[in-house]
Amino acid sequence: MPVRTIEVRERVMARNDEIAGRVRARLAAAGVPTFNLVSSPGSGKTLVLERTLAALGDELRIAVVTGDVQTHNDADRLARHTDQLVQAVVTNGACHLDARQVETALAAIDLAATDLLFIENVGNLVCPAAWDLGENAKIALFSVTEGEDKPSKYPNMFRAARWVVFTKLDLLPHVPFSLERAVELARAVNPDLGFLMTSSVAWHGLTEWLSFCRARARQGVPV
Amino acid sequence: MHEMSVALEVCRLAEERLGEATDTLVALGVTVGDDAGVEPENLAFCLEALLAEPPFRGAEPRILREPGDALHLSYLEVTDDASPDD
Repeated sequence: MPVRTIEVRERVMARNDEIAGRVRARLAAAGVPTFNLVSSPGSGKTLVLERTLAALGDELRIAVVTGDVQTHNDADRLARHTDQLVQAVVTNGACHLDARQVETALAAIDLAATDLLFIENVGNLVCPAAWDLGENAKIALFSVTEGEDKPSKYPNMFRAARWVVFTKLDLLPHVPFSLERAVELARAVNPDLGFLMTSSVAWHGLTEWLSFCRARARQGVPV
Repeated sequence: MHEMSVALEVCRLAEERLGEATDTLVALGVTVGDDAGVEPENLAFCLEALLAEPPFRGAEPRILREPGDALHLSYLEVTDDASPDD
């Protein structure tokens, strides 16, 4: 049977990016700054968010969309610290959140009553780099218990991120991790990165991060 | 790592383009840039699995490599009784 070729040349991510554009427009119209938190599993995304909600919950209305491959565990942990809605997305095996999941999750969030939105992505430094969720910026968490060379190994993620938040700095005396080297390697793949230092368990370990959040919440510093 | 998601999206694009004529698909070409963050063999494996199932009937996935970060469905090869809606 004769075979015919149909030229397509359609970007695989086109549909996701179209939905992400819709999400971004909606968040902008509602004036809600949105950060997509990305990292390896276990770098402390949920704990940073727990502490953030506990510390800023009285002054800022912070909503969270949290993605996990299985379980609602992270959403349950976060919900204890906030009256705002924590939307759980179980990806059922998918290694990242996509824009459609975020759009669906947003339907349950009162954006007019939200000053700041965090999207806690699935712990994974590969795939979430490629999926635009409509956020203002990606923030990569990078714990000092990981290898310093993460930026060299996962350059796409560190290129896609605008900030790197180092976590678990309280452990720095106990691990062979050079912050200087890690920053240098991150800058090598993305010279525009900003850096914040945190410890979610040390006294005042989140001061810099909390100021960052306060400054960028609704009607704050444009992001 | 997200090759299955990419494969699902490729199949969705193919279905969208072919309409009811998915059973006439013989092969599809996907361009994968070297920096696209997609493992070509893994993607081919996922596509094979999906294209073996209805509405497809065992179409062949072809991965086309190129420099850069392109990731797109390049072409569809169909038997001539297809009536794509473009």
